[in-house]
Amino acid sequence: MRILIAEDDFASRKFMLKFLSKYGECDVTVDGMEAVDAFLMALDADMPYDLVCLDIMMPTLDGYQALKAIRDIEESRNIPEDEQSKIIMTTALNEGANVNKAFELGCVAYAGKPIDQVKFEKVLRNLGLI
Amino acid sequence: MGDDMITDGMLDMFIFETEQGLENLENICLESKDVGEFDDDHVNEIFRIMHTIKGASAVMMYQNITTLSHKLEDVFYFIRESKPEKIPHAELLDYIFEVSDFITGELEKIKEGSETDGNADDLIEQLDKYLKKIQGGKAKAGEKPAAPAPAPQEKQRYYIAPVASDDSKFYLIYITYANDTDMANIKAYIAVNALKGIAEDILFTPSDIISNPDSANVVLEFGFRIALQTVEDANHIMELVNASAGIENVEIHECTSDDFIAFCMEAQSPVSSAGEVLTAPVEQPTILVKDQKPQAIALTNEEEAQKSNEKASEEKQPEKPASKPAAKKKPAAKKGETQSFISVNIKKMDLLMDLIGELVIAEAVVLQNPDLKVPGLDLTNFQKSAAQLSKITSELQDAIMAMRMMPLKNTFQKMNRIVYDTSKKLGKDIELEVIGEDTEVDKNIIEHISDPLMHLIRNSVDHGIESNEKRAELGKLEKGKITLEAKNEGGQVWISVSDNGKGLRKADILEKAKANGLLGNRSEKDFTEKEIFNFITLPGFSTKKQVTEYSGRGVGMDVVVKNIQDVGGVLDIESEEGAGSTMTMKIPLTLAISDGMIFSVSGTSFVTATNSVKEFIRVSSKQLIVEPDGEEYVMIREECYPLIRLNRYYHLKNGKENIEEGIVIILSHEERQIAIFADELIGEQEIVVKPIPAYIKKVKGISGCTQLGDGSISLILDTGDLLK
Repeated sequence: MRILIAEDDFASRKFMLKFLSKYGECDVTVDGMEAVDAFLMALDADMPYDLVCLDIMMPTLDGYQALKAIRDIEESRNIPEDEQSKIIMTTALNEGANVNKAFELGCVAYAGKPIDQVKFEKVLRNLGLI
Repeated sequence: MGDDMITDGMLDMFIFETEQGLENLENICLESKDVGEFDDDHVNEIFRIMHTIKGASAVMMYQNITTLSHKLEDVFYFIRESKPEKIPHAELLDYIFEVSDFITGELEKIKEGSETDGNADDLIEQLDKYLKKIQGGKAKAGEKPAAPAPAPQEKQRYYIAPVASDDSKFYLIYITYANDTDMANIKAYIAVNALKGIAEDILFTPSDIISNPDSANVVLEFGFRIALQTVEDANHIMELVNASAGIENVEIHECTSDDFIAFCMEAQSPVSSAGEVLTAPVEQPTILVKDQKPQAIALTNEEEAQKSNEKASEEKQPEKPASKPAAKKKPAAKKGETQSFISVNIKKMDLLMDLIGELVIAEAVVLQNPDLKVPGLDLTNFQKSAAQLSKITSELQDAIMAMRMMPLKNTFQKMNRIVYDTSKKLGKDIELEVIGEDTEVDKNIIEHISDPLMHLIRNSVDHGIESNEKRAELGKLEKGKITLEAKNEGGQVWISVSDNGKGLRKADILEKAKANGLLGNRSEKDFTEKEIFNFITLPGFSTKKQVTEYSGRGVGMDVVVKNIQDVGGVLDIESEEGAGSTMTMKIPLTLAISDGMIFSVSGTSFVTATNSVKEFIRVSSKQLIVEPDGEEYVMIREECYPLIRLNRYYHLKNGKENIEEGIVIILSHEERQIAIFADELIGEQEIVVKPIPAYIKKVKGISGCTQLGDGSISLILDTGDLLK
C-alpha cells in the first residue's frame, strides 16, 4: 500500500515513518500544503495513496484544511467513497470538539499523540489496509 | 468521576456520555418495574441509548462494550419494530441491569487507565437466547418473525486514544549558563532537544532561541526556563540536560499541572509569533501546540474561539484570508446559544470558597479595627459604607453556597436501584418512597453521605423489613415500605430512612452489649432508649445471627456514623419494636462558615457554634455542687449540669475562679448538656472554620480554629468532644 505522512515535527515524523514503513511505501511531507500537492501528484500519476496520516498543527496549511482539500479534490474527480484514501489524523489535540470536527471533515480515524501503536495497527486492520 | 483528572478530552466525553446514558437507562427500568412493561417512549429511548453507547464505544475501540450494547440494541430493535406482546419483563430488566453493570465496570477500568478486558460473552449469549425466545413467541402467534434487520449501518470511525499518560509528571527546569558562554541560545536549544525524546509536552522561555541571536543574552542574564511534561523522573532529566555542554547550574522542580499551565500562559503572552513563522517555520508549531494546551483546559469556549481567531490571523494565511475567520466564527456562535451550563473544576470552587472565607475575616478585621476606636471620631459615613460592605459579603457567601448546592435527586435515585437489587435477591417485596429529593445540599456533603445512605438502605431492606411470609403471619401489609426523606431543618438537612419492618429489639441489643462488656457498671435500667440504640453504631456490634451478602457482619454502622461525623453531622435512631425504625442523619448545610459565639478565658478566646449554645447564666455559689473527688455540678432550675472550668481544663493561669464573677454557658449536643465556665462573653461572629495545623497534637475538645475580627486566633470548642 502507499502511505502519505504529513508531519512537521521531526521526531514525530521519524517515528511515523519508522512505524508505517513496514506496511508499505511511505512518502513524507512537512506541511499540509505539500501533502495536498503530493496527493494531487499521486492522483495524476494514477497511484493514489491508500492511507494518509495528517498532523493537525502544521504550518501553511493545517491538518483540517489539508483534509478538507483532499476530500474536495476527490469529490471533484468523482472518486467513489470506497476508493477514497483513508485518512487518519495524528495529533496531540484530543478535545472532543477537535475530534468531531475532523470526523465531520471526513477522516476515518483520529489518533491522539503519543500514538498507541497496537490500536493503530488494529484500526489499519479494521480498515482493511493490512 | 474520581479526582484523578483524565486529561484526554475525548475519553472524558465518552465516559461522561456513557455514564449519563446508563443512568437514564436504569431510571427508565426502575420506573417501569411496577408497570411490568415498557411503553413505546421507553423502548425508543433505550434503543437510542444503546445505539449511542454502541457507536461511541466503537469509535473508542472498546470492542466488548460495543458488542454487548449492540446485542441489547438488537433486542430493543426487535421490540420496537414488531411490538411483541407479553415479554417477560422482569427477566429483561435483569439483563439490562447486568449490561449496565458490565459497562459501568469497564468504564471504571478505563478511568483507571487499565485494559477493558471484561468478558461479556455469557451475557451476550443469554441476551441472544432471550431474543430468540421473544421472537419465537411472536412466531407462534402466527406472524412472521421479524427479519434480523440490522440497525442502519453508519460509517465506522475510530478514535485512537493516546498511550496512557496518567502518571506523567510536570517539571519546571531552570538552567543558568556561565557568563562567558558563547551562543548560550544554541546550547539551550540542545538541552531542549535532548529532552524532546522523553517529553510529552515541552515549553521553554525565551522561546525564540533559534531565530533570535539576541536571545543568547537573555538566556545568560535571566537563565533558561523549561516546562516539561514527562513520565521520566528527575534524575533521568538531569542526565539528559547535563549531557549538553556549558551549563553552570540546573534546578529541577516537580510541579503540578496547574503550575505547568501557569508557566505556559505566562510564556505565551509576550511572544509575538508573527515574525517567527517567516524565519523559523519548523519552530512555530511546537509553540502552537503548547499554546493549545492551556487554552483547552483553562479558557472558556468564548475565549477559545477568540484565540483561534487570533491565531488564524496571526498565522497569516495568504491562501484564503477571508474565508477562514468566517468559518471559525460559526461554531463559536452556535456554542454560545446552547450552553447555559458550565462545569467548573471543584478545586476552583473550593478555592473561591476559601477566598470568600478569608474575605469575611478581612471584613471583620476592617470593621472592628482598633484604629476606629479613637474617641471623638465621626464614623457616620464609614458605618454607612461598612453596612454596604457587610451586605455584599453576606450576599457573596449566599451565592457561593447556592452554587455548591446540589439537589439530592441523583443520590436518591441510586437508592432506587439498591432497593431493587437487594430486595430481589432477598426475595422481599419492598417499595421505596422518596420525599423531598429536591432538597439541596453542599456538594461535599453529598459525596460524604451517599455511602452511609446506601448502607442504611441496605440495612433496612435486609434486617428491617421482615420476609414476605413473616409479614403475612404478622398481619402486616405484605409489601414492605422504605421511606427516604430529606428536609431542611434550621440550618441542617435531615435525611431519614424509615421502614415499617420489625424495628430494633432493645432487649437483644442490651443482651449483646452486656456480652461484649459495654455496659460497664451501670444497670440496664439506667440506659435511655437513645443510648441503647447507639450501641448498634459501635464497631463489631451486630445482633444478627446470620450473615447475609449485604449485612450482618457488624461492620458498617460504625463506618456510617464516622462518615456522618466527618461532615459534622449526627445519626439519630428511633425505633419501635414491631413497627419499624427511622434513622435520621442530621447534617449541617455547609461545612465552612457558621455562626460562632466568642468568649474568653484568662485572655484566650474560644468560639463555639451558636446553635449549640442553650443559654448563658450567672450562677451564685449556692448553686455549685462540689463532689468529694473534685467534680463540679451546677444546679439550674432543678436541673443538674456537669461543669467544666475551661481555665482548669486547659491549664490557663489567671482565670476567674469565683463562679459568681464569670459566666456559665450551657451547651447542648445530641440532647446532652454540659455547663462550661468562662471569664466573659465577647460576642457573636461568623466564623470560618480552619483545621488545626497538623504539627499540633490533637487537643481534647478543640476541633479547629478561626480568626477573629481583631486578627487574633480563636479556638473552636467542640461540645461533642467535651462530653465524651
